[in-house]
Amino acid sequence: VTTSRADQPILISPIGPVDAGFIPPIQNAVREIFGFPTRVDQVLDEVGFALHHVRQQFHSTAILDALAQHVPRECIKILGITAVDLFIPILTHVYGEAQLGGRSCIVSTYRLDESVEHPVAEQNSVDRLIKEALHELGHTFNLRHCREQTCIMHYCRSLHDVDRKSMDLCRYCRVLLQDELKRLGLG
Amino acid sequence: MDRAKILVVDDELILRESLQGWLERDDHAVETVASGEEALERVRQSRYDILFLDIKLEGMSGMEVLKKVRDIDPDTSVVMITAYGSISTAVEAMKDGAYDYLLKPFEPEGLSVLIEKIMDNKAQAREAQYLRAEHRERTRFENLIGQSEALQKVFDLIQDVAPMESTVLVTGETGTGKELAAKAIHTHSQRCQGPFVAVNCGAIPEHLMESELFGYQKGAFTDAKTTKKGRLELAYGGTLFLDEIGDITPRMQIDLLRVLEEKLFYRVGGTQPIEANFRVIAATNKNLAQMVKAGSFREDLFYRVNVISFEMPPLRQRKDDIPLMAEHFLVRFTQETNKRIDAISREAMDELMTYDWPGNVRELENAIERAVVVGKGRQIRAVDLPICSETTSQPPGGSLQEVEKNHILAILNQTGWNIKRSAHILGIDRSTLYNKMKRYRIAREQ
Repeated sequence: VTTSRADQPILISPIGPVDAGFIPPIQNAVREIFGFPTRVDQVLDEVGFALHHVRQQFHSTAILDALAQHVPRECIKILGITAVDLFIPILTHVYGEAQLGGRSCIVSTYRLDESVEHPVAEQNSVDRLIKEALHELGHTFNLRHCREQTCIMHYCRSLHDVDRKSMDLCRYCRVLLQDELKRLGLG
Repeated sequence: MDRAKILVVDDELILRESLQGWLERDDHAVETVASGEEALERVRQSRYDILFLDIKLEGMSGMEVLKKVRDIDPDTSVVMITAYGSISTAVEAMKDGAYDYLLKPFEPEGLSVLIEKIMDNKAQAREAQYLRAEHRERTRFENLIGQSEALQKVFDLIQDVAPMESTVLVTGETGTGKELAAKAIHTHSQRCQGPFVAVNCGAIPEHLMESELFGYQKGAFTDAKTTKKGRLELAYGGTLFLDEIGDITPRMQIDLLRVLEEKLFYRVGGTQPIEANFRVIAATNKNLAQMVKAGSFREDLFYRVNVISFEMPPLRQRKDDIPLMAEHFLVRFTQETNKRIDAISREAMDELMTYDWPGNVRELENAIERAVVVGKGRQIRAVDLPICSETTSQPPGGSLQEVEKNHILAILNQTGWNIKRSAHILGIDRSTLYNKMKRYRIAREQ
């Protein structure tokens, strides 16, 4: 039985064409926040199976299920990164989605490079992607949305909100992450 | 924003699942059903903050469900889910009491703003209720009264634990006098010259809890015009009583654990550590050990709080004390109302002794208060007591559970199924009443 974080990498998995420059900073941030090594590997070539022909968007829950089926046994979580526009049936769009307390999550760059109306400290799309990737991974570690506006688990209603939050967990979410890691025998 | 209890009613599985998944990431407790009939069944058995209700349902329509939900629990906010073709119906629904409507698919930010608005309104209503209840508590005087063996054991325990500095956990059903036991411990402790500061963790709205407990520094947030001491600071040198500790949020559990471990805390927005110089007595009517197993209460906090624990016996296990307590309440309420009632009649006392008091001492207190208010002669008569209705004056028979179920039903019928009034008469809070109705499958017949 593996009980060390070092033996259980988080798999970062580009889906379709994704700017390769996005990957290393995401790896660094994931290692820093969650304390797991990362690995990069493509497990899905395309996501045509999730395309909704009327909406011309991709159903993120279907992609999550596919990712969960393809994640190698030794990897604790999988983070899919895509450039397509994601949706869930009840909402017009999502930046990303995660299996709460599960193994897979996904983020999309599609809506993250728009400019905001009041760019007080407008950031580039890489920073936004890192934040949303950490946020979705947080959900797979059973973290819920946090009310602290600077916490990475804060739910962002707009890109302005994304720009405003930090790349770190607040002290509550850090404790809750440690609880979850202890529960997994990795604390 | 507070955690909401939400029911999603939609006959499309994929929509139910996607809305549930999305809302759970916000830590809301979400249930789903596929039909109006199932929705009504759930609403009768449990209390929901928000109902997301599809206008077009197979079988009973969304509009019919809306009307019935408004009858069963007007406190539930109903949000209609509609497609482009049904906007006019959604507008009609708002005239019939729906809170709002959402056009599917929703904009994610619109959904989140709407839930926040609903929960903020509910928090404000709870805040007003809390302030009213707090005012009422301040105007009351109560003592632990009784000579029964069960209560004498509690007195002995209180004498034993009072001089220690250890944290005490008092358990027991609603209305058994847990706060009175905590006050008695404080009075017999070395901290008796210090303050006894009570915090009802279940009553303080979540968004007020942090500043209420820890206080805040001037400028910590927009409304913090002056520095305010929190209850932890006010309890300096005395006892901090954390009532209904089973109701505190996971975040507050983390904060409290830190205070208990480090014996230090900070005001919100403050940088100076403040010494936590108080003894903690906590109380709950919940089974904390089970909550730990279920993951809703932190194990580390449980062990910090549960150093010494004892249970307050329910009134049905110490019926010998009823005459003494009833007389005590009679004197108090006749003084408060300026009425000349000298005694409790034999028949009325028989009723008091045979009844099982699911709401415990608080229910007895409420029963005497009502009897004093409605009583016409110099004695309290059996008919003056709220427990002496046509249904309950029959020999009760059956198990305790059956008696309790029948009594709840009788009170609900008496009040026309008004949950608030029924809970008040029963001497329990509304959520406890809803839980009991759920447990006994009590639902209003259509």
